[in-house]
Formats: sequence, C-alpha cells, structure tokens
Amino acid sequence: MAIKKRFPYKAAFVACNGSCRNACTYGCVGCGLCVLSCKFDAVHLNENGIAVVDEDKCIGCGACARACPQGIIRVHECANYIAVKCANRAKGVDARKQCEVSCIGCGICERTCTAGAIHVTDNRAIIDEALCLSCGMCAVKCPRHAIHDLRGILTR
Amino acid sequence: MATFTVNGRSVTAAKNQKLLRFLRDELHLTGAKDGCSEGACGACTVLIDGEPCKACVPDTDLLEGRSILTIEGLTEWEQKVYTFAYGEAGAVQCGFCIPGMVLCSKALLDKNPDPTEPEIRYALRNNYCRCTGYVKIVAAVKLAGEILRTGVIPEKSADDWQLGSRVHRVDVEEKVLGTGFYPDDYYPDGMLYGGALRSKHPRARVLSIDTAAAKALPGVAAVLTAEDIPGENKIGHLKHDQYTLIPVGGLTHYLGDAIALIAAEDRDTLEKAKKLIKVEYEVLPAVHNPQEAAAPGAPKVFDEEQDNVCAHKHICRGDAAGAIARSKHVITHHFETPWTEHAFLEPECAVSFIDGDGDVFLYSTDQSAHQTLHECKLLLGNDKVKVQNALVGGGFGGKEDMTVQHFAALLTYVTRRPVKVKLSRAESLLVHPKRHRFEMDFTMGCDENGIIQGVKAQVISDTGAFASLGGPVLERACTHAAGPYQYQNFEIEGTAYYTNNPPAGAFRGFGVTQTCFVTETLLNMMADEVGITPWEIRYRNAIRPGGVLPNGQIVDESTGLVETLEAVKPYYDEAVAAGRPVGLACAMKNAGVGVGIPDTGRVKLVIENDQKVHIYSGASCIGQGLGTVLVQMVVTNTDLHRDDIVYERSNTWISPDSGTTSGSRQTLITGEACRRACEKFMEARAAGKTLADMVGDTYYGEYLAKTDPLGANVPNPVSHVAYGYATQLCELDPKTGRVARMVAAHDVGKAVNPLSCEGQIEGGVVMSMGYALREQYPIDGNCKPIEKYGSLGLFRAHELPEIVALVVDKPGLNVACGAIGIGEITSIPTAPAIADAYFRYDHERRYSLPLANTPYERKGH
Repeated sequence: MAIKKRFPYKAAFVACNGSCRNACTYGCVGCGLCVLSCKFDAVHLNENGIAVVDEDKCIGCGACARACPQGIIRVHECANYIAVKCANRAKGVDARKQCEVSCIGCGICERTCTAGAIHVTDNRAIIDEALCLSCGMCAVKCPRHAIHDLRGILTR
Repeated sequence: MATFTVNGRSVTAAKNQKLLRFLRDELHLTGAKDGCSEGACGACTVLIDGEPCKACVPDTDLLEGRSILTIEGLTEWEQKVYTFAYGEAGAVQCGFCIPGMVLCSKALLDKNPDPTEPEIRYALRNNYCRCTGYVKIVAAVKLAGEILRTGVIPEKSADDWQLGSRVHRVDVEEKVLGTGFYPDDYYPDGMLYGGALRSKHPRARVLSIDTAAAKALPGVAAVLTAEDIPGENKIGHLKHDQYTLIPVGGLTHYLGDAIALIAAEDRDTLEKAKKLIKVEYEVLPAVHNPQEAAAPGAPKVFDEEQDNVCAHKHICRGDAAGAIARSKHVITHHFETPWTEHAFLEPECAVSFIDGDGDVFLYSTDQSAHQTLHECKLLLGNDKVKVQNALVGGGFGGKEDMTVQHFAALLTYVTRRPVKVKLSRAESLLVHPKRHRFEMDFTMGCDENGIIQGVKAQVISDTGAFASLGGPVLERACTHAAGPYQYQNFEIEGTAYYTNNPPAGAFRGFGVTQTCFVTETLLNMMADEVGITPWEIRYRNAIRPGGVLPNGQIVDESTGLVETLEAVKPYYDEAVAAGRPVGLACAMKNAGVGVGIPDTGRVKLVIENDQKVHIYSGASCIGQGLGTVLVQMVVTNTDLHRDDIVYERSNTWISPDSGTTSGSRQTLITGEACRRACEKFMEARAAGKTLADMVGDTYYGEYLAKTDPLGANVPNPVSHVAYGYATQLCELDPKTGRVARMVAAHDVGKAVNPLSCEGQIEGGVVMSMGYALREQYPIDGNCKPIEKYGSLGLFRAHELPEIVALVVDKPGLNVACGAIGIGEITSIPTAPAIADAYFRYDHERRYSLPLANTPYERKGH
C-alpha cells in the first residue's frame, strides 16, 4: 500500500532487545497483537519471536502501540536514531539477571549526555527526543548495550 | 586495535581512542574540528559508511572494517560545488562548524538529491552554528543540491568587489574544505600539552601548594606556580585584577582560578599530573550575588579592594524626577536578565613556541592580537613576544580576555618548547567572561500623546570574579538605556559588583541587550496605556537626523531609525490585520568605543614581491568578515582588482594595532583607516607607478575616532562617531504560540557586503531568540556553572521560524564610505520584541528572561 508519508517521518519503535532469559516480565512477549493490528505489514516477529518494525513501511499510526499489552511500543521520529531498546523496570540486580542486554538504571548515560536528554526513571533510561542531539555517546558508553544506534553505525 | 579506511586509505589505529583524537592527533586530518568532545556541537562530524557521526563519540576499536570520510576526502568536484554553494549563499562566517555542516549536507544530498527545506533543516539539526542562524547554510545546501543535479556550477552572482556587492567572502574555501588553521590545528614538532589546575573552591585561601609528585611524574616537562611568573601575575584588559596563578597566601576568586600550570608530553600525563598536585585551602564563605556582595560586612572578593564594588556609574541629563512627576502616564517596574554564555563553536586554544628570533611566538584565537601581546608581555616581563591570529572560531565578546594565551606563553617561556593549551568545553564554560546578569528598576514618564518626558533608572550587574570589561559594559548599559528616542530628561545609576561567580565581560550588545529589554518593554506598556500602537509610539519618539539624543548628542544625517520602522510597517500591519500576535522593539548601538577613549584604526598596504597589495591591520576577523570588508574597501578606493589584493590575518609585528574587535567598530574604524591608506596609494599611482615599481612600498592609513568623554562640559557632546539603528518584529503563530516569523530591519549606513550584513542579522536574531526564550547558564550554590554545551539551550536548525533580514542602506556618514558596524545591534531589540509578542498572545507581561510560559521553556532540566 503506497501511503505518502509526512515529514518528519515517524515510525513505531519496540523498546525491547529480545535477549531475555525468560524471566523479564517487562519486554516483548511475542504475542503478535501488534502484527495483527498493523494494516501496513510493517510489524513482524523476528527469529526470537520479538516484534520488530520495518520503518520503510510503517507510517507511525500507532495502532501497534495501542495493541501492545506490555506498553513497550511507541511512535517516534525516525530521525532520532539513538534509542533505548529496553523497557525493564526491575531493580538493577534483577534486571541484570533477567537479560543479557537489559537497562539496569546505572545512570552512566544520564551523566554522559551533553544535552540532558536522557534520564533514568523507574530503573530504566528514557530519552527525550526533543532534546536528543543523536550523538550516540550514551550508546557507546552503555555497559549493557541497551542503547542502540538504529542505523547500525555506532552500535551493531 | 582496529583497521578501517579513512578517505579510501586503509589505516590501523593501534591504540583504542576516540576517532576524533585518531584523526586529528595521528593522521593530522584537522578538518574535523574539536568543538566540545562531548557529542554536542557537531564540528567534528564525519561520515561513517555514509552516515553522519560525531567523531568524538566512537572508539576506534568499534570501527573495524568501516569506511570513514572526512572533509579532506571530498572529490575535487564536491570540493568545488560546496565551496561555491557555501560562498554564494553567504553561509560561512567563523567557519568552525562548516566542515561538519558540509558533511551533513553531503550525507543528505547523496541520498536525497532534491530535499525540501524541512528535510535540509533536519539533516543539519544535530550540528550547532552560533554565527549564521542557519538560514544561509540551509540555502547553501539547497544550492549545492541544484548544482549536483545539473552538473553545472553557475557564475558568481557578484564578483566586482565594489562596496555594496554581494561577493563571496575571502576565506570561504579554506573554511569549507577545512584547510584553514585555527590554533588547535597546529601540531609543531615536540609539542607539549599545557593546562591548568583550577581552584577547588570559589573562595578560599591557598595555604600551600605541593608540586613535587607532579614534577616527578615521567612525561611532565614543567609544573609552574605563581612564583615562577617572571613579570606581573595580575593582568587584565583595563583593570589588572585577573590573577594568572593564585599564589600561596592568596585568595581564590572563582572556580576557574588557576593554581598551577603543567606542561606534559601528552594529554593523559597532563591530567594525571593535575591530580598529583596537592593544594591546601582554607575554605571561606563565598559571595553568590550582588545582594550578598553589597551587604554590610560582606566577605570581600578581593583582598586588595575596599569593598565589592567593581564600577559605579551615574549619568544624568536634565531633570528626570521632575519630568516624571509632571507626566500624565508613569510606569515603574523591576526587570531581570540572565547570564548568557557566548557558546562560540571553537573553544579557546593557543599554540606557542620559540621562533627564530628567540621570541615567544603565539598562534592565538582572540579578538585582538595586540591585546594578547600586551598582556603576555606584562606577564613575561619582557618584549620578546609575537602574536599571530589564526582563524578565530567565533568570539562574540568572549575572546577579549586572556584565557589560554598567557598560559601557553609562560609554559613555552619556561620550557623553551612548543606548547598547546586548549580549554575543554567545560573549562571554557567556566572560564571566559559571560554576559552580565542584570537587575534593573526603571520608571518612565510620558505625556498624553505618548511622548517620553523622562526616564529614571537604577541597575546592578554581577561582574563575577574579576573586572574584565565590567565597567565599560555597565557604562554602555547605562548610556544606551535611554533608547533611540528624542527626550532630554534621563538619569541612571549603575553598580557592578564583584562576586565569586564566573567573570562577566563583553558579550555582543555590551550591556545594551539588558537595558534595551527594559526600555522597550516599558515603551510597549506605555503604548497600551496611552492607547496607541507600539509602532506609533516609537514613530512619535524616534530620533531623527538633527535631533538630540538623551545623552545630548546631535545625531547626523545617516540616522535611520525611522527608515527601519517604516521597513517593518507592512509586516506589522499585515500581522495586526490578520489578528496574529506581534511584538516590536527598536534599538541603537554605537559603532566604535567612543566616550572620549582614544579609538584608532590603522591599516598598512604593503606591496610585496608577488606584486600584490597585502592588507595588514592589527584587527581580528572573528568570523564577522573583516577581511572581506577591507578587500572591498581597497577595490572601491583604488584602481586594483581583487586578484591584486591579499588579506593578511592580524599579527603584532607587521600589522599596526587597530584595536579590539569589539563595539561594532572594525568596519567603521579600521575601514576608514583602510580608505585613508588607499588615498595615499592612489597618490603614488597618480604619479604613474605600477605595482612592479611599488614592490617594497608601504602605504599607511590611520583614523582616530574623536569623541567627547562622558560628562564633558559641552552642551552637545559627541559620545560616539556613529550609531546603528534597528527595528525588529516578532510574529507568533496564534495556534501553537511558537514564533512564526522574525523581521529585522537594520540601518547599517552603507552596506559593504549586503550578503554578510544579512548573515550578521540572521545570526544575531537567532542568538537573541535563545537569550529571550531558552538559553540558560545556571550557577549552583557553590558558584559552579553549567558544564555541558548541549544543555545551554541553543537553537537548532529545525526549530527556527522564518527570519526576514532587511538591510536599510542609508549612507550619510562621512567616514569609511558611510559604513556603520552591525555586529552587535542585531542581537539587541530581539528579546523585547519577542516579549511583547507573547504579551499580545496571552496578555501576561513578562519582566525577566528567558521568558516564562512559552512553548520553548525547558522545564525540569
């Protein structure tokens, strides 16, 4: 379906890495409701059963975000390619056990950020995209690799 | 260890380090500029696999197999395209952000050959520019796209180099391609890295300094304390109260005071050595603000002063109190304006070495090489110093004081080795003098027709830890508080207090940005009270040629305030008719130091062996475009062509001292000196001399701008040789409450280069949109300011409204071919215009900056 997208382009983003050891209760559960809700064939489950968004197809309507029972999908501006791919709100010790690449709320990103754009709330980092300068300093400093450069340049 | 390609060449980074350090320190690809090393500014942007990345972010170990492109890696065609496009659009000012901007442009255009304006703005939005307001950079990207699509570079739209011509600036190519050198781009052989250990406490007595462990650290070449200074420890622009190093027994004045200087073989050793210096302090209570400074029994910021008063000014003409008492309408209010950080893109840096004459030679980024020379000579206690301006990555007043130059000079003097001293961004935010915070109480009286009868005011400023230019800033705030209007009863009293905050000094607008906010806001309030429009009240009071300003000066024929009001009128009427909230403000700003202080411009035209005329003037081009102005001046006033002329950057051994780049003075003062040198040159030409005959000749021009001192016992003192005038308008989107359009009309006398004038206007407006709406420079309870560049709240490319720059070309001044400086005034009326637009929007009057309750307010950060 050809939809003319309006600039600045928006797309859904799933805040989960999908590296959970079956103990994380915050991340993607692979229920597929987001996939069903998408009229544009833009959301799929990957080989680990985790929802991923095809930004080229997604128009940012937000249907998947509304469908997600975990509340971990949101619509963001694609130009903000530095993103926290984790929604784990457990305390650091537990979050560390639950997943290889979970945010443990250590706050290194918050101290690093030049723009004051990233803050740890409920034990996980959240980026205020209006302030973010997309430098990726938080992503390269994150000891848990929970923050990604969605372009695949600063993180792989 | 990682192997990747840089500009197509395979390289291996043995040591894991930030990509920027590898590119600059090892490969000497200095087109990637180091503006902050914290991911904020974007000056170090490179392309990694085609995507823009700030080179200060990734570690080299992360880059295995990647392909990196720096500005040096553009193809020859791309170099030509971007140089032309950026030059034609007038997008280059100080140039420090430009290589990063060009690479962002390339990344966009490679994928999207015909981008829309919002797409261009988004592509540039992670890179800051403090000079241009982005308008002309966006235009450059659009033009580059066109050229790349058609494959043809058009003719330059102007190439005759006469005054009034929109020629490309002289330094476009070196700034676009990153080949021009700022001090940080010099890497002399055997260079040491210098730096300072700074005070731990804003106010403390230094009891002892133990440098033994630092000196013993391998790789440390020198550790210096106050007793190693051969000359004067205390330096300064006017008042010598800036300590180079705090001696044992001395008092610290703020957190930026240096205790010891270190020179080391590399950066890591420098940082290690700082930690090994042991300093014992007796911590004392600090002075946080002017109220504390003025309180009876307050702690003294300086041992050697009687109290904390740095400067006091009282200006009085006519009978303000009486006139206000007799006025039909009287408004009194209290106003406050904040600290502001210059946020120039290039942090302070100096590189020094011993030259062939045995002199300490400095590459400096400053606003006057001769000032740097003067202060370094004072510090070293001898004359064996030379200073050469490198490119200057923006100043805005913040590079008038010594920050690194004297440190580099001293370290080289002692070690006899090349030394680079560069401030980290956090140090820069702490150390160079800021825009003064002001508190102001004003009363204005008007008659029933809105004609101003009198103004009486009291202002106080926080000048921080040393005087810098706190006295003159206070003076200019006071003299210009009256505004560009004709009335004769004016009284103002101002006091600048020392505190233990970072120092405050010169900042584009020089005190007038503060008091103009008050006067113009009061005038807007008065218009409502009288029942006329803000435009009308200004039109009725505006100073006109032959009129008498509140300071007694009779203004000349070049006075163009009314023309600027008329220029914005159609925009004003249109907004009012459409019911859109719109605000107005006017301003005046002197060009030249004025008030009786000797203000001299000097230019030498030297014909060198290449049979070209080389322009030498000890006047810094800090990005405003002085070199271009002088070349246009020479072409216009001689029979020479552009190709016969070379502009030389300021130095101290050939270029004669032409004063500081301050007070919007260079175009006028140095411009007139240049015109006079041209006259002498043309006398020789009239005698039939060719350039070949003239090799070795020097033609010297000098201009002393003569003015009367404040309080001079004459009925109509000439305070300044010229004033620029402006009216700015702010229009809001009634739905979103965001600024939809800024219109800025500026009387610049004869516009030397209208393209550059527009660039100054756009940049000044955007800088003061930040001042009005968002910028912050918070200082905590320990007198410690903000440390992060990215949190200052500077405007980004995608956040800006339409900016309409109207250059009102009204010659009439009999010097410098009628040109009047425009550097500062562009930033002055912006804030009150925006403030009034918000009042029209929500009927809430705001008396302090940044304005509260706007969509731009940053809450909770």
